[in-house]
Amino acid sequence: MSATVMRAPAAQPLDRHRLLVLGLVWVILLLCPFWIPFIGGYTSLGTRILVLGLAAMSLNFLIGFTGIVSFGHAAYFGLGVYGCGLILRYVTASTPLGLVAGMLLGGLAGTIIGALITKRRGIYFAMVTIAFQQIFYFIAYKWNGLTGGFDGLRGFTRANINLGFANLDIIKNDYVFYYFVLFVFAIVAGVMGLILRSPFGRTLLAIRENERRARFLGINVERHIWLAFTISAIFIAIAGGLYALLNNFADPSSLYTDLSGELVIMCVLGGIRVFWGPLLGAAVYVVLQDWISSHTVNWMFFVGLIFVIVVMFFPRGLLGILRRRSEA
Amino acid sequence: MDTNHEQHTKARVRAMSDTPMLEVRNATKAFGSLIAVRDVSLTVQRGELRAIIGPNGAGKTTFFNLISGFFPPTRGTIVFDGQDVTNLAVPERVKKGMARTFQITEVFPELTVHENVRIAVEVAAGYALRPRLSSSERAGVDHAIDDLLERTRIADKAGRLVGELAHGDQRIAEIAMALALKPRLLLLDEPTAGMGEQETFEIAGLIRRLHREENYSIVLVEHDMRLVFHLADRITVLAEGALLADGTPSDIAANPDVQAAYLGHAA
Amino acid sequence: MLQLILFNLFNGLIIGAFYVLVSLGLSMILNLSNVINFAHGNFLALGGYLAYVLIPYIGFWPSLLVAPLLTAVIGYLIEVSMISRIYGRDPIYSLLLTFGLAFMIQDACRYIWGVNGLPLTVPNNISQPLSQTYFFLNAYRLFLVAIVAVSVLGLFAFLRYSRMGMRIRAGILDLDTVSALGINVRRLRSLNFAFGIFLAGLAGVLAGGQIGLNPNMGDNLLLPSFVAIIVGGMGSLVGTLLGGLTIGVAAALTAVVWPAASDVVVYIIMAVVLLVRPRGFLGEEGMQ
Repeated sequence: MSATVMRAPAAQPLDRHRLLVLGLVWVILLLCPFWIPFIGGYTSLGTRILVLGLAAMSLNFLIGFTGIVSFGHAAYFGLGVYGCGLILRYVTASTPLGLVAGMLLGGLAGTIIGALITKRRGIYFAMVTIAFQQIFYFIAYKWNGLTGGFDGLRGFTRANINLGFANLDIIKNDYVFYYFVLFVFAIVAGVMGLILRSPFGRTLLAIRENERRARFLGINVERHIWLAFTISAIFIAIAGGLYALLNNFADPSSLYTDLSGELVIMCVLGGIRVFWGPLLGAAVYVVLQDWISSHTVNWMFFVGLIFVIVVMFFPRGLLGILRRRSEA
Repeated sequence: MDTNHEQHTKARVRAMSDTPMLEVRNATKAFGSLIAVRDVSLTVQRGELRAIIGPNGAGKTTFFNLISGFFPPTRGTIVFDGQDVTNLAVPERVKKGMARTFQITEVFPELTVHENVRIAVEVAAGYALRPRLSSSERAGVDHAIDDLLERTRIADKAGRLVGELAHGDQRIAEIAMALALKPRLLLLDEPTAGMGEQETFEIAGLIRRLHREENYSIVLVEHDMRLVFHLADRITVLAEGALLADGTPSDIAANPDVQAAYLGHAA
Repeated sequence: MLQLILFNLFNGLIIGAFYVLVSLGLSMILNLSNVINFAHGNFLALGGYLAYVLIPYIGFWPSLLVAPLLTAVIGYLIEVSMISRIYGRDPIYSLLLTFGLAFMIQDACRYIWGVNGLPLTVPNNISQPLSQTYFFLNAYRLFLVAIVAVSVLGLFAFLRYSRMGMRIRAGILDLDTVSALGINVRRLRSLNFAFGIFLAGLAGVLAGGQIGLNPNMGDNLLLPSFVAIIVGGMGSLVGTLLGGLTIGVAAALTAVVWPAASDVVVYIIMAVVLLVRPRGFLGEEGMQ
C-alpha cells in the first residue's frame, strides 16, 4: 500500500484496464461491418449509431465530465447538419469543407450562446439551453429560400474524397463511408479523451465534483464552463456534419428539442460517468427505436416508456452499473 | 512549553517585515436589516496564528467569509499584505495568496486524494487552461503533489477516493489542496467541526506543524476551546456580530467580558 | 392599418393569456419542486380532450371546471407515483422523466382520439362577433381573457391569503425551514403540482374552443412559456405573468411587420434580457 503502488490513475499514461477497454472498443468498431449483419443489422445502421454515438459523447463532455446539463444540444448538432448541407448544396461538392463549415457554424453558435448562459446552474441552465435551441429551429424552419423550410434541404450528396493516390468512394460504397465516419469519429474521440486527461480537463472534473471548491482553488468557473460548452458544441457539430453526409438531407427535426432529449437519454442509458457510455447508449437506443417503430405506429409511447424506465430503474446506465469510476 | 511557545512566536513575528499579513478595518456586513457583522477590525501579523471564537450566532463565519471573499462587506476595508482586496473576486484573492477550507469539507469526492491535490497544484501553477504539459512541467507537478502528500501525512491514502475516506482524512486532503495554492495566509473555517477525538488530535497536530515549522500565517474559526488556547498566538472574540475582545490566550482567558458572554449563552 | 394593429394586439393578448396560464403552472412547479415539466403541454391537450368527452353530458360551462380538475387528478397521481421519487436527484433525471411522460401522454391522446384535429364546440351565444369593424372581438375571446384574468387573480389571492398558499410561498423561499416547521413538504409539492396541472388543463379547454383539439396542441405553447419564466425572472410568479404578456404581445406585433420572425422574436427578447438583465424582470438575485 505504498504511495508509489497506489499512484492515482490520472498520473499513469495508460493502465492495463484502460488499454483493455480501449482495445475492445476499437476491435468492435473496426469489425462492425462484418458482424453487424449477423445480428440483423446493416452497415448504414452501424454508421448511424456511430454518428449519434459521437453526438451523445460530445454532449456527455458537458453532462458527465463538466457536470452541467444542456438539454438543447440538438441546436449545435443541427447547425452542423445544415452547415455541411448548405456548403455541399450551394458552394462546393467537397466533403471535408462541408464538415469544417458545419463545425464552424455549430461552434460559433455554441460560443455565443455559451457566453450568455454560464452563470446559470442546474435546472435553470437546462431551461435556457432548451429555449435558445428554438431560435435555430425557427430559422431553419422559416428561412424557406435557403434551408427548404419544413421540407428540409435536399439536392446535395456527399462527395467522394480524392486522396491523390486513391479515390474514396463514400457515395456508393457503404463500407467505405462507414470507415470514413469511423476515421472522423476516432479523431474527435481521441481529441476529447486527450482534453479530459489534460490539466484543463481536470478542472472540468473539479467543477463537476464541487463548484465551490473549484472556485476557491482559483479556477474561473464561468470561463471554464463557457470553454467546455464551446468545445462540446464544436464536437457535436462535427457529428451533425457526418449526419448530413449520411442522409444527404437536412431537416429542422435535427435541431429540435426531441433530438436533444434523445441525445440525453443515450448518455444516461449508457452511463454518463463512462467515456464510452453514450456510444453504447446510442447503439441500444437506435436499435430499440428501430425495432419499436417497425412494430407499432404508437412507437412514441414506447420510446417515452424507455425514458421513464431508465430514469426510474436504471439511473446509472448500463455501464454505470458495472463500474463506478470514470474512464477519463 | 507555553513560555517556549511565546518566545518562539515573538522571535518569529519580529523577524518578519512590518506590514501586517491581514488587516480588516471596520468591516460591517448586513443582510437586509440583519447586521451579521458590526464594525469589526483585526490585524494579523506575519507568521501569526489567529483564532476567531465566539458563541453561536456571533458572526464568526460571516466575518470569515468577508475575509476570504465569499461576499463583499457592506462597509469597511480588507487589506491583504498591504493591498486593498475588499472588492476582489475569489480567484484574484487566491492568486494573491489566500486559501481557505470550509466548515463542511469541500473536496472532489469521486476523485482520488492524488487527483484532488493534482488539480490544486496544476491550477496554482497556472496550468488551468493548458491542454498539455511538457515533461519537465509534469515532473514539477508530480514532485509538488508528493511533497504535499508527505507534509500532510496522507501519502498512504493517495489512491483512495476522497469521498470514501473518513471525515478527518477528507479534511486533511482539503488542507493539502489549500496548501497546494502556496498561500501566504491560510484560512481554516472550523477545521475540527464534526471530528472525533483522534481526528481532532491529528488535525491539531497538522495545524501546529504548519504554523510552527512551516511558518504559515493562519486565521482559523474554531469552537473547540482546548484547541484554540493550545494553538493560537492571539484570539479574537466576537459576540453578536461585534468585537468583544482581542488578545493573547492568557488575556482572553482572564477577560471577564468573554467569560460573561460565554456563560451568558450557557445560562 | 390601425385595425390591423389592434387586431394583432388583441391576438397578442390572447396568446399572451395562454402563455400566462401555461407558464404560471410551469413556474409554480419549477419553483417548489425544481422540476421542468416537459409534459405540461400534453396535460394541456389532455384537459381539452377531457372537455371534449364531457361536454355532451354536462355542457360547456361545467366542463370548463371539471375537465381541468380531472386533469389535475391525473397529474397528481403521476406526481405521487413517479415524479416525487426523483426529487433531490440530479436535474437530468426530472428532465428525462417528464420528457418521456410527454411522449407517452401525447401518443396516448393520439391513440384514443386520433391523429386528426377535433373541434371543441363552444356555446353559440358567445361565439358570434360583437362588431363588424372589430370582427376579431367575439364574446368567446373576451370571455377567454376574462377567465384567464380571474384565474390569475384567484391564484395570487390563493397564494397570498390561504394557509396552503402561504406554505407554498414559504417553501419556494426556504424549503428546509418549512420542512423543519413540521409541514409535509412532499404533500405540499404534490398539491402544488396538481395546481399547476389544473391551470394547464384550463388552458387546454380554452384553447380547444379557440383553435380546436389535436395531440400536439400544447407544443407551441410550452417553449415560449419557458421564455416567459426566464424573461420574467426565475422564482417570481408576477414576473412570469409580465413575461408571458410581454412575449405574447411582442410576437403578435412582430407579425404585423414581419410575420416570419414572430416566433423568433420571442427568443431574441430572451437573449437581450439575459444580456442586459440576467435575472429577468423580477427575478431574485440568487435564483439563476
